[in-house]
Order: sequence, then structure tokens, then C-alpha cells
Amino acid sequence: MNLLDIRNLSIELQTTNNSILAVDHVSLSMKEGEVRGLVGESGSGKSLLAQAIIGVLDERWHVHADRFHWRGKDLLRLSPEERKSIISQDVAMIFQEPMSCLDPTTTIGEQLAEAVDTEQLSGYFWQRNQQRKNAAIKLLHKVGIKHHDLCIKSYPHQLTEALCQRVMIAMALAKRPMLLIADEPTAAMETTNQGQIFRLLASLNQLKNMSILLISHDLENVTHWTNNITVMYSGQFVEAGTTKQIFTEPYHPYTRALLNSSPKANIELPVKSRLMTLPGSIPILQHLPIGCRLGPRCPRAQQACVKAPKVSNFHGHQVSCHFSLKDTY
Amino acid sequence: MAALLQVSELSKSYKLPGHWFNQKESIALEPLSFEIKAHQTLAVIGEAGSGKSTLAKLLVGAEIPSTGKIKLNGQTLNSENFKQRCQHIRMIFQDSGTTLNPSLTIKKLLDEPLKLNTNLNEKNRNQLIRETLQKVGLLTDHMNFYPHMFSGGQKQRISLARAIILKPQVIILDEALASLDPSLRSQMINLLLDLQKQMGLAYILISHNLSIVRHFSDELMVLSNGQVVEYGKTIDILKKPKHKFTQKLIMSQHFQLLHK
Repeated sequence: MNLLDIRNLSIELQTTNNSILAVDHVSLSMKEGEVRGLVGESGSGKSLLAQAIIGVLDERWHVHADRFHWRGKDLLRLSPEERKSIISQDVAMIFQEPMSCLDPTTTIGEQLAEAVDTEQLSGYFWQRNQQRKNAAIKLLHKVGIKHHDLCIKSYPHQLTEALCQRVMIAMALAKRPMLLIADEPTAAMETTNQGQIFRLLASLNQLKNMSILLISHDLENVTHWTNNITVMYSGQFVEAGTTKQIFTEPYHPYTRALLNSSPKANIELPVKSRLMTLPGSIPILQHLPIGCRLGPRCPRAQQACVKAPKVSNFHGHQVSCHFSLKDTY
Repeated sequence: MAALLQVSELSKSYKLPGHWFNQKESIALEPLSFEIKAHQTLAVIGEAGSGKSTLAKLLVGAEIPSTGKIKLNGQTLNSENFKQRCQHIRMIFQDSGTTLNPSLTIKKLLDEPLKLNTNLNEKNRNQLIRETLQKVGLLTDHMNFYPHMFSGGQKQRISLARAIILKPQVIILDEALASLDPSLRSQMINLLLDLQKQMGLAYILISHNLSIVRHFSDELMVLSNGQVVEYGKTIDILKKPKHKFTQKLIMSQHFQLLHK
């Protein structure tokens, strides 16, 4: 059974004059124990999608979906309280810039102890405090922090960024979630630290069978760690498939361009030669093109592209394009 | 071809607060020397706190070096003579959005360095601004826009325009490509390469991303704790890193390459 099954999710922003479709019919499904990458440039709506899953969008945003199931339960039909209890039990999220997410006035130990669920504790009330502390230390060990004494006593500004991100992951683990949503966990981090965080996430996935939704703006950074990848552009679904399918045989011109534009994926490219790019830049929300939003920048665009294409499925490799590159391979 | 920029025994240390009997110093950058020719790119890599940004600040004149000399075209650059230096060595920063004054139009932003450093009249200045905007791929109509009306990639182009408007010889890119989206980043790399060909610029690229370094640079300098660990041709170093630190740095990114 799918852990998370979203079909045709749209997120609309209601402004005073008109409504803007920020996320337009995006589908996403996750199995248990899967690591899925959600890739898109800034303004592609990937963070909005994550926030819609968690349910933290405020009233100006309207979420519609044909299907929005969490382990077989339809989340859109539940009352906000029921939904909150399910989500807070099963889903956890970590953000970019861990330093700014932690409370600067409280020690790490207290913040971690706060995250520990009361239901996990047993015994009399005078034993609880000690148990809570031990649980916090155990969590730190789980994310690979050995010197827990030092870490518990320190404030967030005294730790490095990678350590802070580890603490954030420890907090997310406190509830033993089934799905961890990592929203650009390594943005603005040193490369050596990036590797550490990704390795930690991968080991958690393998040891605890925890599913991870890895959100990133850079395709090349996540390919090593993911089983499947979903690509988004400007709020629209582009392509989804296994990492290998996306990396070796992308069907959508946008994915192709993303791969071609990175010097890492094209090692054979002579040094200092021009890289292939798409012309223009990402459209802003107020002036979205009709139909396929890549249209004005797409090298394969034709007249049919003024209508939004339907998603076609080739053996689990989904692509949303009128003129996919499938026949060129 | 003679070297454009010659740096010899450049170092920087800060005095720590203390009694004047046991005055202590913290060394940010140990003495280092290098040369760049026109049309060439030197990449500087290293971890946080390794002295990359200190090096950039020393070259651009924001900090006064403790020892050493910087020679441009055989002429020693004085640490007091900002006018001479800012015409020839320019810098682009990581976060282009915050380095542009939000209350000035693009025209005024680009006019400022011209007013301070050249004797051109208004007509010629406007002409130069138009040409420069076209060079970096913007329209002349953008002159009357304010910075907030542009997207991130366009802002980066404006800071590039501001850097090249005085026809410099050296441009320092301090993580200028790090925060851009991948498709904008490759556009920017193309633009920088074109400008290098046209104007014979020399770049000093400070970056984390080894794949960009490999693609973009001719020479590579690896810094660690203020010391030069390795210095040589980029291809040679990336193929056969000699120092342990370089190997570690390459390994941390290389596994993703090997994956294919």
C-alpha cells in the first residue's frame, strides 16, 4: 500500500483581485521505505507541496486534490483536529538553515526533551524527568553525536551548522515518524558536511525503514541518494521515475536541459566550453504562461503546447509533455 | 605573456586583545604567492575559515595586508590608493540581492563608479551604461528599473555589469555562482566565459562546487587553515591530488560523479 498518494493536487492563492494557481495538478506517491527526490528550481512550488502535506498553509491558500490519501485515509475529508493528530504522529519535517529553526535562548538538551512524546514515557511522575533526559541522549546517539554531555549543555550558536542539522533530525525522530520531509536540508552548507547529513539520512532510511521526501533545487546533488525522483517546474508536474530513468533517459525537454546544463553530468565536455542552457528565466507567479508553463523557453515547443499536456505513463516513468523525448532513445 | 597580477608573500594576521607584554596574533593567511595571466582563471577552494575570503578582501583592498606585495602589470598596488585599484580589480559577491542599493535605479547604480573614477560627461556615461547592460544580456530599458523589479539571475547580471563597467582586468567572484538556480548558473557561466574571451579578463573564482571549478578554471589553489596546500593546473590536481586535505575535499564530492 502506498504511504502517501496524492493525485492532481492544486494549490491556489486567493488575492483580492484574482486567484493564482501556484501548484497545478501535481501527483506524488510514496511507498514505505522509499527515498524520493522532489526537484525544482526556486518558485516551482516544491516547498508549498511539502507544506500542504504537513497542513501548515494558512487560509489564503486553497488546496484541492482528486486524491489525498495517507495510508488509505483521505486527509481532505478529515476534520483539522483529526488530520493534525495523524500527521503529527507519522510525519516530521526538517528545514534548511537549522540555526534559525532552533530556539537561540534555550539549550539543545531542553529543546530535545520538549520534543519527546509523553506517551513514550512510563513509570511514576518523579521518574519522568530522568526518562525524558535519557530519551534525549538516546536521540543524540541515533544521529551520531557521541559527546552528548557537551551537546546537551550548549546553545545553538555554539554548534556548527552540520551539528545543528543533526539535532533537528534528532527532534524529527523523537516521534518515530514514518515519513521525513527534508526541505533542502543541506542548502548553504559545506560539501563535507553535506555528505555527512545525506549519509545520516540514508542510514536512517535503511535501518528504520523510514521514507524520506528529499526536496532540493539541484538535480545533481540528490541523484546519489534517491530511489525515485519527481521533477517540477513553475508549479507544474514535469516528470517522475526512478533515478536511473531520469538520469539516463529523461523524457521531458526540461529534465534534459537540467542535466545538460550541469558540468558534473557531462564530464566529457571540454573545459571552458559553453554549457547548454534554456533561454530566459523562470516566470513569476503573476505572469504565468498558459498551457505548459515551460512553453516560452522550451526548444521543442509547438502550437499544441498552449494546452497543458496530460501525464502519460511508460512503465512507471511518468512524463507530462506533448512532444516527449521518448522516441529519440 | 607576462603575468597580469603578481602576488608575492601576501599574508594577513589579526592582533588579538591582550596585554602588551604577551601580545598574541591570529594568523588568517600565511604568506602565499601566485600569478595570473590575462584570459586565465584561478580557482580557490577550501573549507570555511581557510582564508579564502580573506584573500579576496586583501586583493580587492578591503583589508590591508600584514606583509607582501600585489603587483598589477608590474606596478605595485598601494594599499591607500583605492582609485587605482578599484578600476582594475572588481568583485562580485555571493548574495547579489543585498549588494544592490534598493533605493537607486539601475542607471544610478551603474553611474556611481563612473562618476567617481572617470572624467566622462553625462552623455558618454549613459552610452557606456547602455553598452554594458547589453553586454550582460539585459535591455537598455532596464536602466530606469529598481533592483526589486528583477529576478535573482538578473540581479546577478547587474552586479556583473557594475563590475565590468570600468573595464577592469581582474574580477573576483566570491561564491558568486553558489546561490543561483542550476539553469541560471549555467547561463551565468556562459556569460562569464564569453566576457573573458572578449575582454581578456582574469577571474579569481572562490567556490565550493568542484564541478564548476573543473569546468571554469585553469589553475587551482587549495587553502586549508590559511595555508596553501596545493597550487597548480586544475586538471592535474583534480586527477592526482597529492595532499590528504585535497583528496578528502574531492572525495566528498566525487562519489556523486563515480555513481554514473
